[in-house]
Amino acid sequence: MSFFGFGQGSLEQEKKKFLEGGLQESEDLAVYTWGEDSYDGLGDALLEGGDELNDETFGATGPVGKDFDFANQPLPESVGIAKSKTQYRSEPQRAHTPQHESGEYAPRHGEPSFNAAHSSLESIWDDKSPFSLLPRVNGGTRAGDQHRPSSASRSPFLSQPIISHGVNQTGVRTLQEIEAEMHAITQQARRQQEHELLRQQQIQLQQQEQLRLNQEEQMHLEQRERLRLQQDLRLQQQQPQRTPPPRMAPHTQSPRFHQHQQQILLLQQEQERQQQERLKELQERLRMEEIERQLRAQQISQMQRPPSLQGRRQSSYADLQAPQRRTHSPAYNDPQYPLMSQQNAQYLPQSIQLQQRLLSEMAQVEFMRDMQGISQAEQEALRLEAMRKIMETERMEEKRRRKAAKIAHMSRYNDLMTQSDKDFITRIQVSQLVTQDPYAEDFYAQVYGAILRSRMGLQQQDERVLKFGASGGVGLGLAQKGGGRRQSAMQKMESQVERIVSNARLREKEKGMHSVHSLQGALGKTSGRSYKAAPRQLLQVDASGASPTLTPAHLHISKEDAVRDNGEGAAREAAKLGREALGNAAATDGVIRKDPLTQRQILVTLESLYDLVLNVEQLRRDQPPEEEANFFATWSRSYNELVEQVWNGLQVMVPLETSDPHPFVSLLTPVKGKKILPRLSRHITPARMLTLLTLLVACFSQLDVVKDARLLEVLDDHPERDEVERQTQAFLGSVLQSILPVVAKAELRLISGLLGLFLDRNDIVTVAQTRPGIAMLTLFLSRVEIIKQGMSGIPETSELPTAEEAQQWQLMFDHLFQLLTPHFPVLFPSSRLSSQTLIGTPLPATDIIDQPVWQFLAALALHASPDQQSTLVSGLRDKVLENVTSANKGWVADEDSRQTKLANVNLFLHALGLDSSQIAV
Amino acid sequence: MDPSSTGIQEPFDLIRLSLSERVFVKLRGDREITGVLHAYDGHMNLILSDVEETIMIVDVADGASEDQGTVKVAKRKMDMLFVRGDGVILVSPPSRA
Repeated sequence: MSFFGFGQGSLEQEKKKFLEGGLQESEDLAVYTWGEDSYDGLGDALLEGGDELNDETFGATGPVGKDFDFANQPLPESVGIAKSKTQYRSEPQRAHTPQHESGEYAPRHGEPSFNAAHSSLESIWDDKSPFSLLPRVNGGTRAGDQHRPSSASRSPFLSQPIISHGVNQTGVRTLQEIEAEMHAITQQARRQQEHELLRQQQIQLQQQEQLRLNQEEQMHLEQRERLRLQQDLRLQQQQPQRTPPPRMAPHTQSPRFHQHQQQILLLQQEQERQQQERLKELQERLRMEEIERQLRAQQISQMQRPPSLQGRRQSSYADLQAPQRRTHSPAYNDPQYPLMSQQNAQYLPQSIQLQQRLLSEMAQVEFMRDMQGISQAEQEALRLEAMRKIMETERMEEKRRRKAAKIAHMSRYNDLMTQSDKDFITRIQVSQLVTQDPYAEDFYAQVYGAILRSRMGLQQQDERVLKFGASGGVGLGLAQKGGGRRQSAMQKMESQVERIVSNARLREKEKGMHSVHSLQGALGKTSGRSYKAAPRQLLQVDASGASPTLTPAHLHISKEDAVRDNGEGAAREAAKLGREALGNAAATDGVIRKDPLTQRQILVTLESLYDLVLNVEQLRRDQPPEEEANFFATWSRSYNELVEQVWNGLQVMVPLETSDPHPFVSLLTPVKGKKILPRLSRHITPARMLTLLTLLVACFSQLDVVKDARLLEVLDDHPERDEVERQTQAFLGSVLQSILPVVAKAELRLISGLLGLFLDRNDIVTVAQTRPGIAMLTLFLSRVEIIKQGMSGIPETSELPTAEEAQQWQLMFDHLFQLLTPHFPVLFPSSRLSSQTLIGTPLPATDIIDQPVWQFLAALALHASPDQQSTLVSGLRDKVLENVTSANKGWVADEDSRQTKLANVNLFLHALGLDSSQIAV
Repeated sequence: MDPSSTGIQEPFDLIRLSLSERVFVKLRGDREITGVLHAYDGHMNLILSDVEETIMIVDVADGASEDQGTVKVAKRKMDMLFVRGDGVILVSPPSRA
């Protein structure tokens, strides 16, 4: 500070003041207001060359200090100021407003009005409250003007002190005047000799009050300091700026902020007051009711009264009501109420009226009862009822208020966005929805919607998509129910989309050849490189590795198929012998042996298959009517092409011996592989399906569900078991379902061939112990049964199998029966389970899982010769007896399982022409 | 047709391979999940069914140093689960032992 010419004395003074008066914020502030708009340029005039006299002026230099003693004087005086200030503070209501209002106009010299308002003005001058700074921050009278009306409008009681204080304003001088005076003084000081100046000042000052002097001096110092810093600032920044230095931080907030804070404060106070008032009101009311009650109790005690009493009583009641009403009135006429939000003001009086009415009604009822004479208890109940109702009303009022406040709160943001803003956002959102293939993008919703509609028996609608020519569209998802708001939103969206699309079209036309992405740039252009640009390819890996040669394979399998289809036992034997001779490792004519597909290869293939299937399905939906020959030809060409790709993807034609498991079987390993088959089989020709079936039969034991079937026979829940269970279900549900139609149309010759292949290629005993195996065998047997029935029934010339074929079938069947005979009991999962587990451990309900086996055995029994039937019965006697016994003797958990057991047995026995009831236990 | 060279253009294509397969998902907050993947998106939001979640809970006793906590493992099962993508650390096919 001494750099600016301030001596130690002035610093000391500052320090003292600081210590006793706390932070002299006003000083800090005042320093920087000179950059404000209201700055009158006085500082510039004061600047030149006055600095060298500063030391003398402020009494810092040695020789001058003797008689220039007012540097020491402020100390006792400011204590007095502080005191007066605390006095002033004790009046809470007038705490800020008057101070900062009149702070601007504080008089400097001995004016008549000054003495009257002496103490308060002093405190004003010395005020350290943040509000007193406000006007200065903003600069000049403008801030004061701005501030006063706002505070006045805020609350009536705040405006009152202003009026009472208004007297002072007439005698008060403006800051400009003060500054002008100071300007003159400094000019003087610069011009005159230091001694002269000091003497003159001393004389002048001695004539005035000590306080006045102090204030003057203080002001003077401030002024000086301001000027210095102002100059400094100017030198640094060349032009006057508003930017406050960092020290100003607390004051950088705009006056509006202060106003806001003040407003909040006021609102809080008001709310508190309101609450208190309401509380008081309630208490008052309660008290009044109590009085009323006592009164009535008196009345009851003297029931027999002259009739004239009624009038008196009513009047007394009215008396009671009157103050009661009066207790309402403060709230009613409370000056704060108009200040509340509009909504509050609207409903509050209403609710109070309601309360009043309610209360008076209650009182009326009570009164009438009174006359008839009611017990104290009833009164009490009534009173409680009244209280309850009042409380309820209060609650409702509170609720309404809260709601209104919420609405008011939210409505702050009303109309922040213009309609075009909203449209713009909608456009962005909608443009995200527009796709080239709306159906596929909305696939799940579309399919689900279709399923729903068909389930509800509604008319099958078209695809719920909005299409815009060839350029794209929007999937609309499920049909809208209920309509209303969503419906209109939907329509809005549709119109938006149409607009976008038409705009895009226009742009397209304008730009000519930018037809690829009609919506590109709809939301503005991206500059520079396209965001769609793929990273540059750095590696050029040759992808043409090992791709299997399909042609020889095709030849091979067709040859084999021919062999198989003949179903000649001899041929089969020969083939078998040949394979055994060659050994499995050796490559049969031209077949390249390969490792089985890896898991990843399987998955990749399946994904591409799914892609193909989706494409095929999409193509099927887009099928043009056959009349349009041109389109149809193109369509069927692409369709066939895709189907061909699907067929190749399945790798059915890969030679049998290529790998173990066969690639096709590998593809069936994951659940999704099994599940894709029904979707594919719709597009594949029956002949090819037959090939597929043949392959499946040939490689049946390679299937995961057959290989892992053992895992199903573990009792405890195990993740792997669950997995196998899932796979098995998928196999039965998907794979078998898709080959079912093929088998159902197969001729006897074909079935014989398939069964032969089945027996030849697989270990029938193992396979028959699996659910898929049993299912497959049952499928064959039942198909043959149907063919046989057809033979015995109406002979259909075309389908009638030849005797040779029938004989061949019989051969196959005998072979199967012979292979299975020693293992009949083991076919049942329950038998296998019980052999594994310790005796005594309870088995889970095995009847359900036994059921397919009973079915198979029944089918077997139907085909069996009498000899075979007796073999069958002897082989299964134990099992049958066990079931019947446990069912009849009640060794079952419940009726259901008993029924199942019997039904299972009967399933088999009926095929033999027997019934479980014939069996004597 | 060589399947390994087809269809894989970006990492997400690998996740696609695991659709409807059982996957192992490691999540933030010491959680691991196995379940059948049904759907995923660019945020790695996942929809899984038949889920088993494994949560590692490290109990650090008061005063003990950080690495002296005991690790508890909590498990729970869910039929269907939506996993928000921001918690996903890795998705992998379960190890085939």
